[in-house]
Amino acid sequence: MASITIRGLSKHFGSRDADVAAVSGLDLDIKDNQFVTLLGPSGCGKTTTLRLIAGYLVPDAGTIHVDDRLVSSPGQVIPPDARHMGMVFQSYAVWPHKTVFENVVFGLKIRKVAAAEARRKVEETLALVNLSGLAERYPGELSGGQQQRVALARSLVVEPEILLLDEPLSNLDAKLRERMRGELKVLQRRTGITFVYVTHDQAEALALSDMVAVIHGGRLQQYGTPFEVYSRPANRIVADFMGLVNLVPGTVVEARDGVGTVEAASALRLTVAVPDGTRPGEAIEVAIRPENIRLRAANGAALPARATISERTFLGNISEYQATLDSGQVLRVQTHPLERFAVGDIVAVEVDAAHCSVFRRNPSEPTSDLRADGATA
Amino acid sequence: MDAQIQRAGGAAGSLTMAATTRAGTARARARPPRVRLEHVIMGGAIGALIVLVVLPLAFLLLGSLRGEEGLSLEHFAEVLSGRLYLSALQNSLILGAWTALFSLLIGLTLAFAVSRTDVPGKGLIRLTATLSYLSPPFLTAIAFVYLFSPNAGLINVFLRDVAGAPWLAFNIFSMPGLVLVTVLHTFPFVFLLAASALQSVDAAYEEAAQILGASKLRTTVSITMPLVAPAVLSGTLLAFVNAIALFGSQAIIGLPGRVVTLPTRIYALFDYPPEYGLASALSLVFVVITVAALYLQRAFLARRSYVTLAGKGARPQLMRLGPSRFVLLGLAALVFLISIVAPYSTLVAVSLSKSWGLDFWKNLTLANYKFILLEYNVTQRAILNSLLLATVAATIAVLLGAVIGWIDLRTRLPGRRLLDYAALIPLGLPGIVVAVALIQFWLAMPLALYGTLAILLLAYVGRYIPLSVRSANASLRQIDPSLEESAQILGASWTATMREITLPLIRPGLFAGWLLVFVPVIQELSASILLFSSSSITLAVAVFNLYETGYTESVAALAMVNMAIIGVAIWLAYKVGGGGIAAGGREGATG
Repeated sequence: MASITIRGLSKHFGSRDADVAAVSGLDLDIKDNQFVTLLGPSGCGKTTTLRLIAGYLVPDAGTIHVDDRLVSSPGQVIPPDARHMGMVFQSYAVWPHKTVFENVVFGLKIRKVAAAEARRKVEETLALVNLSGLAERYPGELSGGQQQRVALARSLVVEPEILLLDEPLSNLDAKLRERMRGELKVLQRRTGITFVYVTHDQAEALALSDMVAVIHGGRLQQYGTPFEVYSRPANRIVADFMGLVNLVPGTVVEARDGVGTVEAASALRLTVAVPDGTRPGEAIEVAIRPENIRLRAANGAALPARATISERTFLGNISEYQATLDSGQVLRVQTHPLERFAVGDIVAVEVDAAHCSVFRRNPSEPTSDLRADGATA
Repeated sequence: MDAQIQRAGGAAGSLTMAATTRAGTARARARPPRVRLEHVIMGGAIGALIVLVVLPLAFLLLGSLRGEEGLSLEHFAEVLSGRLYLSALQNSLILGAWTALFSLLIGLTLAFAVSRTDVPGKGLIRLTATLSYLSPPFLTAIAFVYLFSPNAGLINVFLRDVAGAPWLAFNIFSMPGLVLVTVLHTFPFVFLLAASALQSVDAAYEEAAQILGASKLRTTVSITMPLVAPAVLSGTLLAFVNAIALFGSQAIIGLPGRVVTLPTRIYALFDYPPEYGLASALSLVFVVITVAALYLQRAFLARRSYVTLAGKGARPQLMRLGPSRFVLLGLAALVFLISIVAPYSTLVAVSLSKSWGLDFWKNLTLANYKFILLEYNVTQRAILNSLLLATVAATIAVLLGAVIGWIDLRTRLPGRRLLDYAALIPLGLPGIVVAVALIQFWLAMPLALYGTLAILLLAYVGRYIPLSVRSANASLRQIDPSLEESAQILGASWTATMREITLPLIRPGLFAGWLLVFVPVIQELSASILLFSSSSITLAVAVFNLYETGYTESVAALAMVNMAIIGVAIWLAYKVGGGGIAAGGREGATG
């Protein structure tokens, strides 16, 4: 088992005229025996990071250590075949000309494991991934989920210190994906192998990981536990990427010792944690998750935050509303399906301030007025 | 939250220092770079390509510039002003132009008939094109001499002595005769490219024109033809390039009729004393023509993307021709008769007759075969040499092609595109030019290769390397790199990955590429004719020499033996490669 230490890692692609930085200045500590997810939209650099860890790519700058061994630096890269890692590819990469058994036993043959021993290990591993009895089949005769397990078994049988997984579940249908997700987690706990898992699916990342590294534009945005990155996003990019969020513009009313009062959308007065150095009067953005907003029927009383229901979507286990504040700000709200409002209803809006995050407006970034509905998926 | 931001921002100061010191100690333990087997193999492949293609070409250029004293342009001056050379150039261009024109007429008509009309006998048309493409052109030429040589040609004799119509006689030893024999080999280039383009035009384009009120004819002229024009022009240029490179028919038909062309003029320059400088200069002029035509061809082909991309469209509707479809069928049957039936039945008849003439059927004999197979001591050596050379050349070409294709697609080696271009160069080199280049290069080397099997092998591998690189490239493109990467991360070295994963996966493609090289090599004449010696003689050269010596009937028997061997090879190719020969070989130079 092994830890991975990444320092100042950078990788550029492309020709001289169209140079694209896939990863820049990445620092990451992956501890032994952890399940770490690299999360980000496609093209964010997460797969490049994984391929740098595997040794398929040579970094332009920075280093990667496994335990105390330097495995990658610009001048020196230990090739993938000498790294004792495993990797599961998005396409599975199960060899079509070899049977399930031949696929799985390949790594053991390379390691010159005795035939009887190898057979025993393959059988054990196939049992571990629920493929017993399919050893003599060819990949063409297997379903996508089964091929996925072959790829997994092939990587696990050699008992790697580190297993790299590149969106391994993205080609499976929703139900199978959920089941494999559970199995992967159990497998990691049972084997104690360090898993580095790449995905663009935030739900997958939250469900599986000990730690999530949110990557955007080739840079690490936040590294923390699933709970931390979800409930305490480090910046608006992370907040935006980790599920539905309302990014509501507002101003600081007062701030002291990291706690302050802000007014969002000229209606919601919230007492929240604010970034250091925030001054009263400063323009900010408040990230409010749809599930942290409550709607109550307004009974004609004077309301601090009043909204009109403008759209209703029934999703089964929840109901989703769009509530338009008097200031024009639209909020996405999720409620229990039994709380029912009709389009046109006037409601009172309450926000759970403890679960909101405040971000300072970066003058170089576009204001959130561009997002008229204040929320993105 | 502040804590997170700091963590996210990169645990800068203190940790970075720790990392650098750790790196310092670990670097000593990291492996020193060492030479791996893969570097040797890749380096070897690059070196082979340089020896096979680049250096001979360099020596060709050097030879053309080496004058009496130092470098000079005197050879080019002579080649571009001397009457002999200019008339050869002129004849080659005339031959190429007429051949291209007739290939276009026949090929496009047949292609249109097959893919757009309800003409009967489509199988026959396709068969005609394929067989014509695969027939060794010099054998067709010999067969036509048996029929149309001015004095002894069977049909001419019949017209003169029996029908009493000598004015109908046709002299094959002439430019029209040469064009006829050449077209039979080159019209398939137009046919194959045009047919595939016509079939892949999205019917929606045509239906859109019809719904706007255009008639069938109008649609064909204003929509379909412009769409397939790039493919058709490309096929026509390939016909041109291949036509002017065919040494065999130009020597057999052209020389007796005093129609001297570039290949035969270059050949004549090797009569004692050999004129290396002039031959090199003339070769380079030849190459310029070929390369210019191939460049145009690629430019045209690059424009046909909109034809092939339309994959989803419905099949085009077939045009109902009514009774006139039998006119088309008649044309197809005529082409079949002239290009396949006539030459092959003639060769069979001659090979079985005691003496070729109007009453040949009165004295049938197997003596010619007996002579060829048992008494003529060259035959067996030639068969063995040809089989050996074709097998070895195809194997080497395929392995080289796989490595070069792999370097191009799977590495980030600087200059790998250059390697790919170098592997394409031989497409622009007529066989005889390859021979001229090789002779000069190897005469300058301390190794005495001239006249050995080795120099023939080099010529064949060099000439046909583009075919194997192309087919290896196509197969490798279909293998996702992750299939190789997953072996690598399991600890497999490059060689193990190649042996266990890559080569087994591309084996069908490699085998198709092997046959793609094997079939033309076993009938190669253009380069062999300058490179052989009595011990390294090949089958095609043996046929040609026997013909030149005047053994009329025995030549036909040897030609039949040659055909049988080629036939078995092609049959194997179709059985295993599934018709990939005709499809893939389209781009290869022949002759």
